[in-house]
Amino acid sequence: MNGGPFIISQSDKRPMYLQIMEQIKQRIVVGDWTEGQPIPSIRQLAVDFQVSVITVKRAYLELERERVIVTQQGKGSRVASSAGLGARLRELELEQHLEQATRIAVQLGLQPTQLEERLREAGDRVSEKETI
Amino acid sequence: MTGSVVGHLIMKDWQIHRVPILVTMAAGAVALGIFQRGGETAFVVGSVWFFVALIVIASILPIFAIVNERKKQNLPLVMSLPVSTMQYTTAKLVSTVGMFLAPWLTLMIAALVLIEVRGILPHGTIPITLILLMLPLVGFCFIAGTALVGESEGWGTAATVVCNSSYGLVWYFMTKIPALMDTWKSPVAIWSPTAMAIFGGELAFLPLMLGLTFYLQSRKRDFI
Amino acid sequence: MTDFAIELSGVEKKYRFFSLDHIDLKVPQGQIMGLIGPNGAGKSTTIRILMGLVHQDSGDVRVLGHQMPAEQVAAKWDVGFASEDMRLYDSMTVGWHMSFIQSIFPGWDTAYAQLLLKRFGLRAEQKIKGLSHGQRVKATLLLVLARKPKLLVLDEPTTGLDPVARHEILRELTNVMADEGRSILFSSHNTQDVEQISDQITFIDRGRIIDSMDKELYLDRWRRLRLEVPLGIKLPVLPGIIDVIQDGRLAVATANAFDPDLAMAYESSGAHVHSVENMTLEEIFVANVEHSREEVGA
Repeated sequence: MNGGPFIISQSDKRPMYLQIMEQIKQRIVVGDWTEGQPIPSIRQLAVDFQVSVITVKRAYLELERERVIVTQQGKGSRVASSAGLGARLRELELEQHLEQATRIAVQLGLQPTQLEERLREAGDRVSEKETI
Repeated sequence: MTGSVVGHLIMKDWQIHRVPILVTMAAGAVALGIFQRGGETAFVVGSVWFFVALIVIASILPIFAIVNERKKQNLPLVMSLPVSTMQYTTAKLVSTVGMFLAPWLTLMIAALVLIEVRGILPHGTIPITLILLMLPLVGFCFIAGTALVGESEGWGTAATVVCNSSYGLVWYFMTKIPALMDTWKSPVAIWSPTAMAIFGGELAFLPLMLGLTFYLQSRKRDFI
Repeated sequence: MTDFAIELSGVEKKYRFFSLDHIDLKVPQGQIMGLIGPNGAGKSTTIRILMGLVHQDSGDVRVLGHQMPAEQVAAKWDVGFASEDMRLYDSMTVGWHMSFIQSIFPGWDTAYAQLLLKRFGLRAEQKIKGLSHGQRVKATLLLVLARKPKLLVLDEPTTGLDPVARHEILRELTNVMADEGRSILFSSHNTQDVEQISDQITFIDRGRIIDSMDKELYLDRWRRLRLEVPLGIKLPVLPGIIDVIQDGRLAVATANAFDPDLAMAYESSGAHVHSVENMTLEEIFVANVEHSREEVGA
């Protein structure tokens, strides 16, 4: 069971439980925590993160609701065994980013076609950086 | 279990105040040394030195041991331990009086031995010697009790001033009592009713003062 | 066997210029409660009452199941107390204090004590009078932590500490919670620390408890809404909104009982909700105290 590094960012304005959820999902996405693998108890993670037990409890509850983890009475929690969990989480991440981009585009007053154009330009920039 | 916490508190006080304790022992040793030389002058000088030393100790020790614990904010630490306020009071009084008794008892016994055995003075002086020696102990208990209940340096100082200024008056009145003065040249110790009454009164004052201290401490609702 | 590490019911205490008014406080076993409030609010008095150092005028106080102040000796065997106005003996060493506490408490963990000495950067031979303020605080906390008491009662444990020392203390406090049989009550001005490690938060101001609840639920109730208010639109008065500041066409509403319906209510009134922000505990602290003082007409 990997115990760290678990760090809450103080400058991150989002609630702590959301940060914890994100870091757990990240571990699943990159493959450090694999599907079906047992994860630390709520108390243990609270100690690792140096946050209150109640915050970790909330994070676990939400993760369970999202079917990212599964908790069994008396047996602790484990990463959900559904196939392709990592990929599904990546998809969710992409969707969140796209929604945020759209929101900002609206504030800037961009039209959908202009936004598409921007997306293509960004894609070009990224592939340029990767070839270098 | 808790009895030993009181014991630990007493030891703690003796460890913390080891320097004043050593100094008072040294002062006592000096007085003893003076007595040893024998003769009336030595006895007078020694007694005066001894008496002054005891009065000084009686004034300073309670300040160190009792008042400073509050002043230097050590009291919350002690009261965080598994002790009640009464147990604290017990430990404090035992340790402080203990610190005084060590030099006092030594010197008292030494003085009595010098008179009884070495015969540097007639045995008739024993009653008045005992009565005079009791005075610093009575004064000490008064100052210690007041400092403990009064909680501040002000109370301790006030008690000290009252005490120290009273010694002179008390000595004066004692010299005016024929029953005490007339018998000092006798080769045998004579305990006249007056002498016994005075000595008894001094002895009785001690439990009275301590009892009053305990009672007043128990009435406190805001200990810190 | 008790479910609560600390229970205060209806506790009252009157002083000449200040009084504690009907204090109800419960700390469940295995949890950390953060007590916050302005200076003079009554945090220290409340803590002294629960340690049996001050007798309450009325009300029930139970610590680890023991009635206080009557059973304070029994309680104090399992309670580690450190207050901001507590000092160690200047002329003695850190090591002497450690031996002193160890001689009294059977639960003293020597290995842990040595580890803490190293972690806190202290040496046993050092005399207290030679230590800096931060080192003294750490020494005092070491004495309390190494005993591994069932309940820790700490009055301002991190006040006056530099960020590194604060972090060291917080780490040890969170290590305590690995054991679900142990509980902590601590008061602090540092809302960051309280927000981070508390399970329960209690707000006290001017001798009264304003709020006492689950931290996550509490943080969820507070929101700041940034509104754009077109000319001619008057903002409706909504329940759950305790304060609205408006300057021209921009307004900020503070909610202490947030519900998404509130945002919708503003939108339907013609205003536009630009954003809904979480609030830090510090921001909540200030808003809460100001609001509760207005209510009382202070």
